[in-house]
Amino acid sequence: MNATHLLKRLLGTLPLLLGVSLLLFGVLHLAPGGPLDVYADNPSVSPEALAQMRTAFGLDQPLPVQYVSWVTAFFTGEWGYSIRTARPVTQEIAERIVPTLILGGTSFVLSLLIALPLGIVSAVRRYSGVDYVITFLSFLGVSMPVFWLALMLQLLFAVQWRILPSAGIQTIGSNSVLDLIHHLILPACILAFASVAGWSRYMRSSMVEVLGQDYVRTARAKGLTTSRVVYHHALRNALIPIITVVALDFATILSGAVITETIFAWPGIGRLFIESMNGRDYPVLMALMMAGSFALILSNLLADLAYAAVDPRIRYE
Amino acid sequence: MAAAQQRGGTLTVGLGYDIDTLNVYSTGFLGDVQAAVVEGLVAPDAKANYVPVLATQVPTVRNGGIKIAPDGKTMTVTYRLRPGLKWSDGVPMTSEDVKFTWEAVKNPKFIAESKDGTEDISSIDTPNATTVVVNYKRVAPDFMSTLFTFGIFPKHTLDGKDLNTDAYNEKPLGTGPFMVKEFKRGQYVILERNPYYWRKDSKGVQLPYLDGMIFKIIPDSNTLVTQVRTGEVQLAYGIPYSQVTQLDGVPGVKIVKNNVLSWQHLDFNLKTIDAFKDVNVRKAFAYAINKAAVSKALGGYPTPINTVVVPVFSYTNPAVPKYDYNLARAQQLLDAAGWKVGSDGVRAKDGKRLSFKIMAQAGRSTDEDAEQVIIASLKQAGIELQPDNKSGVAFRDARYKGNYDLFYGGWITSADPTYSVFFGSKGVNNGQGYASAKIDALLARAESTLDPAQRTAALREFQTELMTDLPSIPVTSNPSMIAVTEKLGGFVPNPTNMTNFVNTSGWYLNK
Repeated sequence: MNATHLLKRLLGTLPLLLGVSLLLFGVLHLAPGGPLDVYADNPSVSPEALAQMRTAFGLDQPLPVQYVSWVTAFFTGEWGYSIRTARPVTQEIAERIVPTLILGGTSFVLSLLIALPLGIVSAVRRYSGVDYVITFLSFLGVSMPVFWLALMLQLLFAVQWRILPSAGIQTIGSNSVLDLIHHLILPACILAFASVAGWSRYMRSSMVEVLGQDYVRTARAKGLTTSRVVYHHALRNALIPIITVVALDFATILSGAVITETIFAWPGIGRLFIESMNGRDYPVLMALMMAGSFALILSNLLADLAYAAVDPRIRYE
Repeated sequence: MAAAQQRGGTLTVGLGYDIDTLNVYSTGFLGDVQAAVVEGLVAPDAKANYVPVLATQVPTVRNGGIKIAPDGKTMTVTYRLRPGLKWSDGVPMTSEDVKFTWEAVKNPKFIAESKDGTEDISSIDTPNATTVVVNYKRVAPDFMSTLFTFGIFPKHTLDGKDLNTDAYNEKPLGTGPFMVKEFKRGQYVILERNPYYWRKDSKGVQLPYLDGMIFKIIPDSNTLVTQVRTGEVQLAYGIPYSQVTQLDGVPGVKIVKNNVLSWQHLDFNLKTIDAFKDVNVRKAFAYAINKAAVSKALGGYPTPINTVVVPVFSYTNPAVPKYDYNLARAQQLLDAAGWKVGSDGVRAKDGKRLSFKIMAQAGRSTDEDAEQVIIASLKQAGIELQPDNKSGVAFRDARYKGNYDLFYGGWITSADPTYSVFFGSKGVNNGQGYASAKIDALLARAESTLDPAQRTAALREFQTELMTDLPSIPVTSNPSMIAVTEKLGGFVPNPTNMTNFVNTSGWYLNK
């Protein structure tokens, strides 16, 4: 892929983003309620105060006007202020993105490191005891609810054995990396568990297919060792479909893991999203969803690039 | 109590919600952390009675703190501040700060959720540094449950600032026992001792006893309970009833029951549902609901109630019309009203079935469990209910606009509740479309007099009238369960919306 092509692809995302934003804005405002309902929940809030807030946030304007002013502001980098906290949206997101990247990134790497070898072993030793065990575990991983697994592990590691903290990102007052890792173990493993389960299944089936192809049989016939056949001839081709799956999951890392972050009191994007959703904090929600859409588009692009790198037959003109 | 207080130690508290701002006037929550940092002139105590804080006494007509104008239309409230009060930065706190607070909250540019009470005030005089004279436009008996009770703003740091975005919202300056050291969003707030705190204990020891407090934000209630069990959190409130027994056995942890000022109720939508316009149908509902079974399903902690005024208040009326569980009576009333049992077991009249949707807040397990009991209860009387639960803003929206057939939920109020917001025909929280001239008149009388006897009489009659008319069936009063370390002394729960942290200076940790 050359630079012009990349530039074209990037420019092509602009109208796409604009369309997405219109959709998101519409859906958000179609949902019942508005940001001020949180305040109205308190019996001591007067209707006058509510009216004042409505004017202050521009919520009394017609929707198209609100949308146009939002778009112009957004594309000039002015993401507005959170209605809930009155702080700049950019600051709100910047603070939460780091914990999410730490948690998501760790579990992503962990998943890759476990899922790929598992899938390969499963495929190479198809219908063996090992394959059955791995298959069983991955079905368990796919079907087990995250919150239940999290509760069980908290009970075991934090309450019974007292070797890991049950929640939070750090011991208050401590800034050591070791302390962070200590807090990271449980949520990262739980997040990774589901991905490992899914990805190893993809890896297995993709590998099984490749292993049955003519060129692999030819390689075997030439007398190459099994490991050479698997790792040099088959793996590269078997990886191609995996890249799409993994790349799309990469975008969800940026959007945060809502359940895991809530259970482990992890101060990330997923929780910010839930809080903002519960409060209909439009500016934060729009920014988060736009960032999520952009991440998805970007990871698609990355997947394409990775395709070309892994398989020289694929070329973008 | 005198001998054992120990000085020092840090108490870790678990909070089940994410703090939006530390400004008491603009937060969407009740303000637990704030209550330990910012003080008002008066505050409600554990029995929901107002006691003096920054003021030397609670103003009343009898002690001359409240003066009603000769024409009976306006009033003047005088507060005398304690001498020598200081903000936690060492600057003296004066009557000017009180006046500034009113002006700042009233300012239309300040986006606050609690502006209640600001419009009732015409002016504030500050004859000297410790005297505040508040001139009211009307006789406002609920003046203490608003404005200066929440907290006072420091004029010397906030004058001319934009309160919507000022750093005050992250690090409020107060006169309370503690001050904010660090606020990390989504994670924790660290409080440390305020060296200038005004209060001393009976032996002259400078308060607070604690060196500091840490508020940890843990949104998941299961995790909150886990943190109590591991000792990572030493105090947590709002423990789900289903988990109380689990925690009760944990060594070093005790459970405290806090009878909060809340009542659970089943509301009829009187705007759109014709069947509910017949008072006998509403009464049949009341007789058919087994309140004891509702309480039992929730671990037996809630108390069944007969009126919307919770038993803590002196003006609770024990003589209201009662609707004790009586299925035969319910069936009798429905038969008489023309609702006959059909072949499917559900009553019908003129081709219309007695079948409705009932809304509760999705995810609030206590309410959802109670809802199930109510559905089962009413089914026995031939009434069919289908749950239509909503969450977050969708729930609130439906509640305010009355987009439901039946609604089950609860209210929690201040120590001085204004019932007209719930049952007045123009009440902001009256989504069900209830309107009664008689109720309006009684509430207007109760909410415009300072005479306790008159107020009690009006509120008692209001309860009788409301329970006769029955737009809303009071079901139970649900306490809040608090898990707290046995080491904590001096802790007294507060039932009002001023939170448990309204008086933390006397708390201490035994080593």
